[in-house]
Amino acid sequence: MAGKSSSIAPTTYSPSPTLKVKKKQQQQQQPIFKDVDWVRPDGRSFQHCRPAFLRTGAVNSASGSAYAEFGNTKVIVSVFGPRESKKAMMFSDIGRLNCNVSYTTFASSIRGQGSEHKEFSSMLHKALEGAVMLESFPKTTVDVFALVLESGGSDLPVVISCASLALADAGIMMFDLVTSVSVSCLGTNLVIDPITEEESYQDGSLMITSMPSRNEVTQLTLSGDWSTPKIHEAMQLCLDACLKLGEIMRSCLREATSAPHE
Amino acid sequence: MGLQHTSGDLVGNMEVDAFRRLFPLPFFERYLLESIRPDARPLSSARDTTVALGAVASADGSALAKIGYTTMLAAIKMEVMTPSLGSPDEGGIAVDFHMPPVCSPLIKPGWPAEAASVLSKQLTDVIISSGMVNLKELSLIPGKAAWMAYLDVYCLNADGAIFDAALLSAVSAFSHLHIPAVSVTEDGRVVAVSGELVEGNLVKETPIKSMRKLTLSCIPFSLTCLLHKKYILADPTAEEESIMETHVTVVLDLSGRLVSFYKPGGPVHAHTSALQDCVALTRQRVKELQKILNEAIADMDLD
Repeated sequence: MAGKSSSIAPTTYSPSPTLKVKKKQQQQQQPIFKDVDWVRPDGRSFQHCRPAFLRTGAVNSASGSAYAEFGNTKVIVSVFGPRESKKAMMFSDIGRLNCNVSYTTFASSIRGQGSEHKEFSSMLHKALEGAVMLESFPKTTVDVFALVLESGGSDLPVVISCASLALADAGIMMFDLVTSVSVSCLGTNLVIDPITEEESYQDGSLMITSMPSRNEVTQLTLSGDWSTPKIHEAMQLCLDACLKLGEIMRSCLREATSAPHE
Repeated sequence: MGLQHTSGDLVGNMEVDAFRRLFPLPFFERYLLESIRPDARPLSSARDTTVALGAVASADGSALAKIGYTTMLAAIKMEVMTPSLGSPDEGGIAVDFHMPPVCSPLIKPGWPAEAASVLSKQLTDVIISSGMVNLKELSLIPGKAAWMAYLDVYCLNADGAIFDAALLSAVSAFSHLHIPAVSVTEDGRVVAVSGELVEGNLVKETPIKSMRKLTLSCIPFSLTCLLHKKYILADPTAEEESIMETHVTVVLDLSGRLVSFYKPGGPVHAHTSALQDCVALTRQRVKELQKILNEAIADMDLD
């Protein structure tokens, strides 16, 4: 901190990202996704999620932790507790869930941008609250801390899925694993698990957070331009992907327990 | 001494884990008597260390360093700035060290850890004073434009020897750093050029610097040692650090020169001979770390 304030001239600016965006906007006046044979920047088909890499036990001093890597989106989540609630809090018969999402300064292409984490923290809380059996740890708090190491699109869904994996790793009782997937609407196309570039020119987005084996939805957000049949299609797409992601997470947990520890 | 007696009586009928938690110091001293540590390391050896370059694609240079469980992620972003009047032909380096709440149960969100700002300062001092980066190399147009390198180091898992891991990740990030190519526009602004842009309508600009890497000289490496009675424990874990409080951090550069020496108080008053031993241990460790970094760079070049 001390080093930062002394020598920085106030006129710093980041040349590369701004220029790239400008260039992109020039191209985007005739958006490429209107073409029939449009391909996604990373070569996936519209209904393909990015390959997911999940691992538990990333932080040894936490009760539970998980690391998730979906393409360029890299997230680490630690769970602490159940431990003593903050002194100022009122007595509570049931447990509390405390969530916090933060970004590294180099997560996005422009340095030091990541101000939406307050909103993400409360979204993460709402997404997990319904799945965690709060009455199993009365009077105490479970802290869920997420750090987005690199933001590559669909950040919140990855954070939510990774957080539920970390909760499972910590042995916190849940009704089911929580999995989350988002879909972007680009013109007439629905693309699943969008990257940052796709998110930047989407017409609408839909995110579902579900407990796949109970077939229950804990959170659904919808923004932008949608028609009813499109919503149905997108929801079905998301729920299918959630089911598959749930299986991947389960196998990750199984591997962690079957492997000889330490 | 009373404590030692009670613990001695209890040893027979107590589980090892319980003994470790209740009487941590006698527990460790028993190991020290045999010149070994609970994780089966000899006193003078460090934990397994790995370096992976290019961990973050959104940064110009990045590295992930692991010493045992301690994990550090360092990334550098380059921005163009106007150099200060005092040194018009030099760029700058801004170092920041973060301990986000993910890394340790002791850190609460919204409360920056005290240790983080101390380490920030230490890292800045070592990186600047070691002369590893020639600031003149970061200059673009003397007096008008220069590079500012923003180095951010994040602790992802704090398990002792945090400074060593932070410095290792920082120097690794610098050795991975690719300075973007830049050119000057007609109105005098300096912009970065990516490959695709060259064919566009901006060809008029004169590229003044192409994509390049920094030449690093005198790379600094460090080793933290714990002092306890007559013992010197190299590269302590968080548990060891919490029990035995006197630590010494020695920073040497590749040619063996002393860059920094840090012993922040502590109950043990170190003899000169102990400090010399610490420096000797660091000298060995520097060779190890240099090998690890060179291997990481070689791996990167292969890809």
